[in-house]
Amino acid sequence: MAIGTIFKRNIKWRIQNPITIIMSILQPMLWLLFYTKAAEMTMKGETGGNYIEFILPGILILVIFSSSGSSGISNYITKKNGSFYRILISPIKRSDIILGHLFETISVSFLEIGILVIISSFFSSYVNSGIKGIIVIIILLFLTAFLTAGISYFLSLSLPNEDAFFTVINTLVLPIFFVSTALFPLKNMTGNFRVMVLLNPFTHMIESIRNIMLNEYICWKEVIFTGGIFFILCCIIFLITLGKLKGGKKV
Amino acid sequence: MEIIQIKNLIKKYKNEKKVLDIKKLTVKQGEIFSLLGPNGAGKSTLINILTTYLDYDSGEIKILGKNLREESKEIRKNIACVAQNISIDEHLSLEENLIFQGNLYGIAKEELKKRAERFIDEFELKEYVKSPVSTYSGGIKRRLDIAVNMISCPKILFLDEPTVGIDIHSRKIIWEMMKRIKDKYGTTIFLTTHYLEEAQELSDYICIMKNGDIAAQGTINDLEKYINQKIIKIEFENEKNAEYAKEKIFKDKSVRLKKNELYLKIDSQDEIIYLNKILLDNKIDFLYFGLLKPNLEEIFINIMDENRESEGIWQ
Repeated sequence: MAIGTIFKRNIKWRIQNPITIIMSILQPMLWLLFYTKAAEMTMKGETGGNYIEFILPGILILVIFSSSGSSGISNYITKKNGSFYRILISPIKRSDIILGHLFETISVSFLEIGILVIISSFFSSYVNSGIKGIIVIIILLFLTAFLTAGISYFLSLSLPNEDAFFTVINTLVLPIFFVSTALFPLKNMTGNFRVMVLLNPFTHMIESIRNIMLNEYICWKEVIFTGGIFFILCCIIFLITLGKLKGGKKV
Repeated sequence: MEIIQIKNLIKKYKNEKKVLDIKKLTVKQGEIFSLLGPNGAGKSTLINILTTYLDYDSGEIKILGKNLREESKEIRKNIACVAQNISIDEHLSLEENLIFQGNLYGIAKEELKKRAERFIDEFELKEYVKSPVSTYSGGIKRRLDIAVNMISCPKILFLDEPTVGIDIHSRKIIWEMMKRIKDKYGTTIFLTTHYLEEAQELSDYICIMKNGDIAAQGTINDLEKYINQKIIKIEFENEKNAEYAKEKIFKDKSVRLKKNELYLKIDSQDEIIYLNKILLDNKIDFLYFGLLKPNLEEIFINIMDENRESEGIWQ
């Protein structure tokens, strides 16, 4: 399996470019440290307690958007320096090329998630459903990172340059984040906005993780529903990307 | 044995304009095949197709007897390509670059180690092993690039203008590398280049491309009349003198007049002394007298014009 070969190579690049990790964790960390402090006073009554505990699932999704969402940029770098072409004409499976890239990106996302979780634990934010809950959250976050990194990879194959790539990513990320329950509880939302929030699959991911964190039990129905949707979306984006990479390129 | 066979290949741009339209092209096993052509001739597009990177519209391509479209994975095991841009990873060390490429081709660990050592020796890269790749000169990076692509011991090595932007010393070393690759490993080399002297120095067979089509092809001897065509350029003080020389002195010669410059086609170098003597004997002053080697563009014009049964550049 060449997944490991691609994975190791990308990890080496990441180690030599730690700035990519710092930059993608910076914004979510600022949200966690400063926004929560500022919003805690007004939101306390709405969220029923520790606002950091409430906002943390949304921040974890935001850090995935930030790290995995921008990961496609490396394809533009390797296209420019020629190694993208060299890998593509080698006999390795196209799926291994994609998966090697995605797993490295997901690893970075999890490193950043780990850092944010450690910081939030200083503010008494815990997973109330215990070890079982932690495992389920890891699986759900894995699916989220896989989907986000997959979309990013697909866009990098479809869009002509970095400028177009970042324009599309920035246009997608913030609306998806704000039109969700990342910052505010669903019970306060009404009308069309509520419908849009409910149509956003990331709302369900945030809600599922939040419920596992805040409650002492796991609502399996909710987890299977959310996990199922994300699993299907992950499969779809993987197959579309695979088709794109396998298909003949045009000039 | 014909290792690459192309028949009726057509490749179009998105706007339906043809990039390539090749009726027939074959490359024999073990030879250095050079594809010459100006920018936009379709050389890189052809390499991108043959290396399975780009798809094509119609035609039939066989590499090692295998259909390019249907058996691309099998073909990929036996080819490698040194692309126009140096494609080594600067965040990896010299050895890591070789190992990474070997892993892509599924070479066993022990064998890969042996090959890496062999190619480091073979391409004189030992003294650079401990230095970061980003500090290498363009020539050394290119040598590593070729070593990286040789690690899988491909049956066909494609090189897309490998010496562009490389100093003359490194260019000569790369030429030696290519000859060694061909002789020692029996690798078929498919080379694209802008440089006539490079094609002449290395090639067993040359194909000249123009506008996606093959303008001429053959061995160096077959194309001698185009490549080694000799032209004398004489620059006079004014157009009147140039015209006089054309009408009176060189009236029996194949001459082209361009303002105050005369261009004469000659068959042998001996004629240089003779023509020079005529001018001196007739006491015609001139500013410049020299032998020109036709550049690639002039050769194309000549070939294309000759195909139209004209007098070529002398029209």
